[in-house]
Formats: sequence, structure tokens, C-alpha cells
Amino acid sequence: MQIEHVQKFFENKVFILLFIVVWEILSRSGLVNNLFLPPFSSVLETIWQLLINGSFSASVLISLQRAVLGFVVGVLIAVPLGFWLSVWPRGLQMSIWPLLKVAEQANPFILFHVVILFAGIGEFAKTIILSWVCLWPILFSICDGIKNANTDILKVGASFGLSRWQLFSKITIPMVMPSLFTGLRISAGYAFFLLIVIEMMGSNSGLGWFVLSNQENYNIDRIYAGAVTIAVLAVFIDFILKSIEAKLLSHQYPEIIN
Amino acid sequence: MVGAIDINSVIKKFTTDDGNEITALDGVDLNIKAGEFISLIGPSGCGKSTLLRLIAGLSTPTKGTLSMDGAGIEGTSYERGLVFQNAMLFPWLNIYDNIAFGLKARNVYRKHKERVSKFINMVSLAGFEKSYPHQLSGGMIQRAGLARVLINDPKVLLLDEPLGALDAFTRMNLQDELIHLWKKEKMTMILVTHDVDEAVYLSSRIVVMTPRPAKVEKILDVNLSYPRVRSSSEFLYLRTQILKILDYAGKTEDPGYFI
Ligand SMILES: Nc1ncnc2c1ncn2[C@@H]1O[C@H](COP(=O)(O)OP(=O)(O)OP(=O)(O)O)[C@@H](O)[C@H]1O
Ligand SMILES: [Mg+2]
Repeated sequence: MQIEHVQKFFENKVFILLFIVVWEILSRSGLVNNLFLPPFSSVLETIWQLLINGSFSASVLISLQRAVLGFVVGVLIAVPLGFWLSVWPRGLQMSIWPLLKVAEQANPFILFHVVILFAGIGEFAKTIILSWVCLWPILFSICDGIKNANTDILKVGASFGLSRWQLFSKITIPMVMPSLFTGLRISAGYAFFLLIVIEMMGSNSGLGWFVLSNQENYNIDRIYAGAVTIAVLAVFIDFILKSIEAKLLSHQYPEIIN
Repeated sequence: MVGAIDINSVIKKFTTDDGNEITALDGVDLNIKAGEFISLIGPSGCGKSTLLRLIAGLSTPTKGTLSMDGAGIEGTSYERGLVFQNAMLFPWLNIYDNIAFGLKARNVYRKHKERVSKFINMVSLAGFEKSYPHQLSGGMIQRAGLARVLINDPKVLLLDEPLGALDAFTRMNLQDELIHLWKKEKMTMILVTHDVDEAVYLSSRIVVMTPRPAKVEKILDVNLSYPRVRSSSEFLYLRTQILKILDYAGKTEDPGYFI
């Protein structure tokens, strides 16, 4: 049992570990200039030092806070909107679809500059652009979930004499959940990815800003420290959503988890 | 006794996505008495499921009327329970909640809580309350689907090939359970099946339908006492009868050539 667990853990992580080992060796052996690639261990050390000295954890926290805020606002808009769209008459849905698809494709970086014109360069603009980016995958996952839903299951619901509201709450929502979670995870990934870039574009706090400002000072160790932290956080965010998904849905659709 | 279904000159047409019109039912007349066990049998695609859905109230006829105990059928009701092919349990609910679904939807769960375990026992699924549909076998799912409908005490039970996907043994067991249930609860049963044996084994009347557009081709009374013996000569005679009708159903014109 114990051994199996350990084995499983390493099976999952073996390539990550290998990657880190190769990184360490390349750097320590001098095959790659330490200036460009500091050893992984010294990057970890830098992260540790940064965390102790305080200002870095503030950057991490503010980035997380922004990402979560943008994501939550995006969810709060997308979920009602998605379900609302799905009750539109079919023809109307078809005609709004192209507009939504175009909106989804709008480049968020260009859009960011437009948003800044209206909302200034503060937190508000960041929340707007993040929630905008989060909106689309969630919206489309709901629409897809409803479109691809098993219409027979809806008929089963209807055959019990359910009211419209009961059909929606007892059948449609649980039916759409798996698809919705896929959208949520994509959105969360986008939000964090985009946030880092936005913080680089115009901000004086957060992880993106941290990396950029150290780049300007050629503080290579710190750039790597920022990059590794960002990667770990991204994995961590996905892990949290995945765990929630597993907890909520694993019993009904075992195949979607792993 | 309640649960009589009258179907008068029902026509049902569909418009396909490319604009073609399909006539699924072309004037179906059928009077089903309360407490009968009716089997509908006919070629694939003729419109049996369509007819069942009309009786359930899931769709409306293009022409003609359907009524239950004299009142026109409008919309769905738990009084006309429909068991779908493949049972179609809700995958997000465990077996207990699937079976309790109808009670909860009608807000009578608190009052009739004990019915849930009663029906779980009836279909021999005790011990699987917490399991989810994907963890059950096909036969168990089918039984759970049956219980989920029966718990609402329907006056008419509509069964759309409920045993089609099962192995021969499970199938025969469930057939016996159906008869047992029908005798006990005295409800009207309308069963769609492809299996002629099943129809003869179970029903008091067998309705043979023509190929699409479907009409009633012939109605046969089955005057055999239960439990029926599949190898008895009367049984085999009826079976042959129906197979003959099915083979000829709709072939009104002579093909005019020989192979
Ligand atoms: N919603 C629909 N839209 C268009 N055509 C439909 C629809 N439902 C059924 N049909 C058509 O009506 C005909 C009858 O279908 P139905 O499902 O009632 O057949 P069936 O007798 O139950 O067949 P099977 O024995 O194979 O289940 C078919 O030709 C089918 O294509
Ligand atoms: Mg059918």
C-alpha cells in the first residue's frame, strides 16, 4: 500500500524530476553558462530567500488575488449568460453565435489597451480584461454541454411531469456540469497566464512585474525564481479545480478524471 | 379501474432538418382497456416509440386525439410512466436518488420515504443504494429504471423495449417480474418489443403494426393463462401466426419476379 503510493507518485512525476536533474547537471557542470541558467537548487534557494524577506510573498499574493478576482467575475457573468442563451429560440441563437465567436477571438492584449483608455491602468482594468478572457471558455462549455446533452435524458425528466424550472435545476444543470468544469479549468489557466503578461505591461506589483523588473536589472536568479513560482502556482490552481471536479463528479463519470 | 387509453385516428408527421416530411403514424386507432397488457410489435422504424411518446404526452399528434379515461392527454404526467430503452438513469444520481427522483420532484418524498426501500427491494437492488449507474450491470440498471417509474404508482406503464439489451436469463427473470407486478398493481401495461416470444409470453393482446407509415395491421388476443409455457402448442401456434403477419405486413403488392 505505502510502497504503491510512493511508486505512483514517482511514476507521475518522473519526467519532471528528470527535467530538474538535467537542468541541475547542465548548469553545475558548466555546459551551459550559469549566467543564463543558474542551477535549479540555487533558484530554489533564491525563492526561499525571497519568501523570507517578505516583499516577494506580497507579489505572489497580489497576483493570486487578481487572478481569482478576474476568474470569479468571469464565472459570475458567464454562467447565468450561458444558461440564459441556451433558452433563446434556436434561430436567434444561431444568429448571435458568429458575434460571440468573433468576440472570443478578440486579442486580449490589444483589448487591454482599449480597456485602459476607459478604465485607467488600475486594478479595475485588470479585472475587466481577465474576466473577459475567462468568460468565453465557460460560456461555450455551457452551450456545448447543453447542445451535446443527451436529449433523451431531458425527455426522461419531462416524462416525470417536471415543471420547466424543475427540468432546468434537476436535469439540465447536473447534465452540463462535466462540460462546465472543462471550461472552468481552461479559463483559470488563461486568467493566470494573461495576468502575468498584463502585470508586465503596466503594473508595479505582482509576479509579472517582479520578473520584468528583475529582467531590467539582469537579476537572472530572480527571473528564474519568478518563473518557477509562476509555473508552480499555475499547476496548483489547476490541481485545486481538478480536485473539486473529482470530488463533485468522479462518482458519476469516472472516465473524466484521469 | 383506471388506466384506459383511447387512440383515435392519430397521425404524426415529422419534418426533417432538410425539410422533408416523414409520416410516422398514418391513422392509428386503438382502444386499450384499463388493466390490459398490450404489446406493440412491428418493423423497426415504423413508429412504435413515436406512439408511446404520444401516449406519454411527450409530443402531440399532428391529427387525431389521444385520451386517458376519457380525458384528453395534455402534457406528461407521472400517472403515465415511461420506461425508456436502456433505462436512461440519471448518471449524476446514485441508485437510491434515481429511484426516489419522482417522489422528490413531486415533493412527496418525506411522506412516502418508505416506498423507496420498498421498491428497491422489489427489484432486488438492496445493497446498491449508494452505487452509481455506471457501477451496475445492464440488468440492474434496467430494474432500477423500472423502479424509478413504478414508485410513482402509474396507472399506465409504457415500456419501450425495456428488456431489449439484456441477456436471455435476465430477460426471462424480468419478464416474470413484469407479470407479477402487473397482476399485483393492476395497471395498464403497454410494451413495445421486437421479441415475438416476449409478446406472446406477456400480453393479453398483441398489436401488430405495419411498416412506416404505421397503422394497426392486426390485433391478436392471447387467451392463455399465466404462467405461460413457452413450449406449449398454443404458444408456438400464436408465435408462428405473428411471425407470418410480420413477414407479410405491408407487402401488399406482388414483387412480380422470382429469384
Ligand atoms: N423527432 C423526430 N424527427 C424526425 N423524424 C422522427 C423523429 N422521431 C421519429 N422520427 C421518424 O419516425 C419514424 C418512426 O420512428 P420511431 O422511433 O417511432 O420508430 P420505432 O418503431 O420505435 O423503431 P424501432 O423499433 O427501431 O425503435 C422513423 O422513420 C423516424 O426516423
Ligand atoms: Mg423505438
